[in-house]
Amino acid sequence: MIEFRNVSKVYHTGTHALNQVSLIIEKGEFVFIVGSSGAGKSTFLKLIMREETPTSGSIIVNDIQLEKLKRRKVPMLRRSMGIVFQDFRLIDKMTVYENVAFAMRAVGARPRAIKKRVPYILELVGLENKAENYPSELSGGEQQRVALARALVNNPQMIIADEPTGNVDPEMSYEIIELLHEINKRGTTVLIVTHEHNLVHSFNSRCITIDKGVVVEDAMEIKPSEGGQV
Amino acid sequence: MNLSGLGYLLKEGIKSIWTNRMMSIASVGVLISCLLLTGAASLLSLNVSNAVDKIGGTNVTRVFLSMDVLDDEARYIEEDIKRIDNVVKTEFVSKDEAIKDYQESLREDIFNQLIGEGNPLPHAVDVTMEDLAQYDRTVENIMKVQGVESVRDTREIAEKLTSLQKLVNTMSFWIILALTLVSVFIISNTIRMTMYARRFEISIMKSVGATDTFVRIPFIVEGMTIGAISGITTSVLMVFLYDAIMKSVQSIAKFELLNYSEVAVFVSIAFVGAGVIIGALGSMLSIGRYLRKEGNELLGW
Ligand SMILES: Nc1ncnc2c1ncn2[C@@H]1O[C@H](COP(=O)(O)OP(=O)(O)OP(=O)(O)O)[C@@H](O)[C@H]1O
Ligand SMILES: [Mg+2]
Repeated sequence: MIEFRNVSKVYHTGTHALNQVSLIIEKGEFVFIVGSSGAGKSTFLKLIMREETPTSGSIIVNDIQLEKLKRRKVPMLRRSMGIVFQDFRLIDKMTVYENVAFAMRAVGARPRAIKKRVPYILELVGLENKAENYPSELSGGEQQRVALARALVNNPQMIIADEPTGNVDPEMSYEIIELLHEINKRGTTVLIVTHEHNLVHSFNSRCITIDKGVVVEDAMEIKPSEGGQV
Repeated sequence: MNLSGLGYLLKEGIKSIWTNRMMSIASVGVLISCLLLTGAASLLSLNVSNAVDKIGGTNVTRVFLSMDVLDDEARYIEEDIKRIDNVVKTEFVSKDEAIKDYQESLREDIFNQLIGEGNPLPHAVDVTMEDLAQYDRTVENIMKVQGVESVRDTREIAEKLTSLQKLVNTMSFWIILALTLVSVFIISNTIRMTMYARRFEISIMKSVGATDTFVRIPFIVEGMTIGAISGITTSVLMVFLYDAIMKSVQSIAKFELLNYSEVAVFVSIAFVGAGVIIGALGSMLSIGRYLRKEGNELLGW
């Protein structure tokens, strides 16, 4: 589903954000990406959604080689992925409902489909009572879930979440990841960027560690309890 | 895209005009000024062309008789002129009739002194020629007739008007070009401001996979609506402006102007059309550049 071949990214400022990264993420996987601040995690995600283009190397998403993808075709690529941004990117002057509906409208969904789908998604993330509130009236965690709802609403093949637990207490973090895990079980590929190692340990899943733009570890995390039995 | 989607985009565009109403009003104001000036230039040009056509195209030449020619003598002179080659028709214009043309433009007390004995005008004969190519020779023959004093040379006026027409047309062209550019620039700036205000929404739309067309439509609608509003307002204002100009022009010289009702429909369509095209052009100009931006680049612009 996602393949990186010797991908490097150097920003115009001269920062080497990624260095010769090669990896494959299969359809249906549940993957954590961890690393310290500035390691290049967000850059990795931006390359997948083609918000940035690699300086060298090749990226393949859904059998499409991104460097050959015409600008005109980028929207189709993005419709296959739901993105939760590190900074949420909610629209302040729209209610929670409108924020989520907006993502459906932007891809030309019919009003009737929007009316049916948005309440369902809001219920899924536990925000059915906040539908008419504005983002400024929500807690960080609630805003986070709005962003998640917006990423989910178009029913994408994969979810890419940049620090979805950034502003949330540990319990809520766990719930958000648990929700993404549920979504993953229904066949959606999920990529989660986080620097909360504790969280990663609670799920038995693949974890890619990036440090200074290099993949330093790529392994299945074993739950501590199971680890003890080995 | 389905119909409801299009409706949504149209609504978004119009909503945006209201949200940015200060900027919208400002650009409508500038656009109206530009359109009014452009319209005035075009109408002036049109009027001059019309006058040139009328004077140049007419083959009626007024022949003035000597001051001392009496009424009955004038009739004979008219007969003499009628017999000249190339003259197809003559019409006697007595000095009493001729003075009436000035009645409206003169004060009543002055005019009253000029009728009857005090009339400074000579009798005249309006001569219609068959072939204007023989104008010079025909005038020569008319001048030979006893009692003919002078011939009003309409060709000279036509020539003067033609050169005036050229000048007016050139000036109008540059005025229109300059003001169109100004208008496009103003609209593109307004739309740029709207895009800036909505850069957040644009970035989200792009990140969920909205096509460029989808992102573009509300802004183009906004530009075109601003253009249309300006065009309609200008059409209404022009009616009054033209009336005022017509009055002041006619108080200076007796110049036959086009009646506004003759051109009103054409002019109004032109104003609205120009406004809409300028609006679309201006918005496309600014959108094109910013649609290429991505993510943080878009947010931080
Ligand atoms: N648009 C940009 N232009 C220039 N440099 C950039 C840009 N975006 C990121 N960088 C730099 O690239 C490096 C990697 O950034 P990136 O955002 O990928 O880190 P990150 O792992 O997501 O960090 P964090 O956990 O703080 O979000 C950093 O040094 C950053 O300053
Ligand atoms: Mg980051």
